[in-house]
Amino acid sequence: MPAVETISLTKRYGDVHALDGLELTVERGELYGLLGPNGSGKTTTIELLTGQRTPTAGSASVLGVDPVTEPIEVRRSVGILPEREDPPSFLSPREYLQFVGDVRGIDDVDEHVEEWSRRLEFRGVLDTLATDLSEGERQRVMLAQVFVHEPDLVFIDEPLVNLDPLMQAEVKDILATYCEKGNTLFLSTHFMEVAEDLCTRVGIIAEGELVAERDPRALDAGLLETFATEISGRASVSGDMTAGGEGAEGDGDVEVSGE
Amino acid sequence: MLVEEFRMATTLFGRRRFLAFPLVTASLVAGGTWLLGLTGTSTGAVVAGVHLLVFFVGMQVGTAGLVGRDAMRDVLGDTTLLVFSARTLPISRRRLLAVFLAKDLLYYLALFLTPVAAGFLPAVVAGELDASRLALLWCTVGATFALGAAASLTLAGVATRSRPALLVVLAGVFVGLFLAPGDLVVLTPYGVYADPSAVSAILGFVPLAALLVVGPIAFEPPEGGGVRRVEGDRFRQLQSLADSMTARSLLEVARSSGSVWKVAFSLGILFGVTALLLDRVVAATALEPSGGIAFGTLLGLGTFTTYNWLTGLDNPREYLRYPEGIDGVFAGKRRAFLFLSLPTGLVYLGVAGVWYPTPDLLLGVVVFPLVTVYVFGVTAYLTGLSPGELLFDTPLFAAYGGALSVVAVPLLVAALAYGTAPVESAAVAVALSAVAALVGVALSRRTGRRWHDRLRAES
Repeated sequence: MPAVETISLTKRYGDVHALDGLELTVERGELYGLLGPNGSGKTTTIELLTGQRTPTAGSASVLGVDPVTEPIEVRRSVGILPEREDPPSFLSPREYLQFVGDVRGIDDVDEHVEEWSRRLEFRGVLDTLATDLSEGERQRVMLAQVFVHEPDLVFIDEPLVNLDPLMQAEVKDILATYCEKGNTLFLSTHFMEVAEDLCTRVGIIAEGELVAERDPRALDAGLLETFATEISGRASVSGDMTAGGEGAEGDGDVEVSGE
Repeated sequence: MLVEEFRMATTLFGRRRFLAFPLVTASLVAGGTWLLGLTGTSTGAVVAGVHLLVFFVGMQVGTAGLVGRDAMRDVLGDTTLLVFSARTLPISRRRLLAVFLAKDLLYYLALFLTPVAAGFLPAVVAGELDASRLALLWCTVGATFALGAAASLTLAGVATRSRPALLVVLAGVFVGLFLAPGDLVVLTPYGVYADPSAVSAILGFVPLAALLVVGPIAFEPPEGGGVRRVEGDRFRQLQSLADSMTARSLLEVARSSGSVWKVAFSLGILFGVTALLLDRVVAATALEPSGGIAFGTLLGLGTFTTYNWLTGLDNPREYLRYPEGIDGVFAGKRRAFLFLSLPTGLVYLGVAGVWYPTPDLLLGVVVFPLVTVYVFGVTAYLTGLSPGELLFDTPLFAAYGGALSVVAVPLLVAALAYGTAPVESAAVAVALSAVAALVGVALSRRTGRRWHDRLRAES
């Protein structure tokens, strides 16, 4: 049984086709990356697969469970990192993770809090109000809440945003180790380097459609050029393919951007 | 900022729903004036009440730009307003705040205050209000709103500089209100409406002008206040008393601006208004109203503000990531709501014991919790975790107002009739509030499923 499977998964917001007949299969133990420009349907895909939204048409299965009819059951067995969300402003990281652990029914949550705060290097701010944390510290706390209940499958939307290069390397290592244990990672990103470094397979999405699936090592400059041209034509966007992903210039990343 | 405000409101509520709001406001004022006229209330008394209401709306609006970017982001998502741009634009923070205040005044004058004044047009046609007084009313209502906004900005400004100074200012206002309310009224725009003259205009508008200048100057932004660390294990302590959602909600209220005191402050305003109204009713009529039923009803309605504080920092979509379901979220909110509002309301009922006989107030001890349960059920069911959207969402506003009125109006009538038929009034009040509480419980039970489905389906 695959970890994730979608059949003609479709989501419309009024006249906008956010996702258009997505056909996708992710096997257990895979590190699957969904790569595409802003507004291509990556976040919507994750929200549909985790039961946060209902599809307009089509169906999906996550660890053998239907996220449309059994969203709570799906959320119980997965971890979710949303894009652009912070821990609650007036809780400390420790309290937030205790809250998440309690909601998820973990008995030894304090041990997990200690472990993940050490691995993600925010032990020093465990008792600081989240509103007073830096952006990077908040992102680390949000990453910790993904793993605090040791899920079999995690959905991560832009995992490395706001992290410094050292922490980016640490998080990549954590994600790789996590999958070596037989777990599954489904991440969405518009940064090529992230997909290339982490994923065993990459799906390229544009305007809500899966354009291609590739081994990330096959995403060479020639393919990216073709991809950029295709996206420019399909989405009528700039197709801006620039070196310097994650905001750092000249590090060899390739960013696919454009609304 | 005007464009920003308009787009934010039309995006949140939809253009048609938002633009229908002025029409509904004018209709409510016109209908309310007519209905109150049937009970013998004079148009002058209604005008005074409208000034009081507008003052509190102004106070609420005046603080909206000061909640900070984090709180705004918790509620609205990744939102940036121009008022937060002092660090990136070559404009001083004070100037931005002053423009923000001016924007609010213009915006609400057009969409809220002008319709409020227009609601008195039927009274002018009926000869109960002079046309020239209507123009004055428009001016003084607008100025009263400005007074509320400027007062809250100034109070926030004083609070950012010195908490003891804030307590001294608030204590002074309260002492003034209790010792010589008439003297304070002269210092407001309503004083100009009540007694139009050059002297009253100076007395009524000069404090407003002073606050409009002092507010933006006094305010220091909360950012840069240092890193706040949590002492002790408060979350675990509260969690052991109830559950994690209740613990989280209580901590968020306690640690955000105003702490749990804002709950007492909101209900304190309702308590003061109720005491004032009862005093006026006794003075102007031969009625002997029930303080217990009146306090129980109005304090119960006032717990809406407690719900607002409890959900003000929530991002509803966050809860869709957890395996608990929204049912558990609302159950936690309900416990936190009752934990904060019931003791506070009962303390105020105890304070009322200074003026009202105990047997009468015991009715309030019965009515208040029951109405509170109803208010929670209705508010949670209709507004979910975003009660702030009531403002300017016309159909929702009308539905919510109707749901509260269905219970509040008969209860207040029972309170007024208490002097002539105490047993019947008490029986009606207890029975009605008990039925209302049952309805509240039923609505609470349906709230989780309703909002889980709505949040998943929303675009």
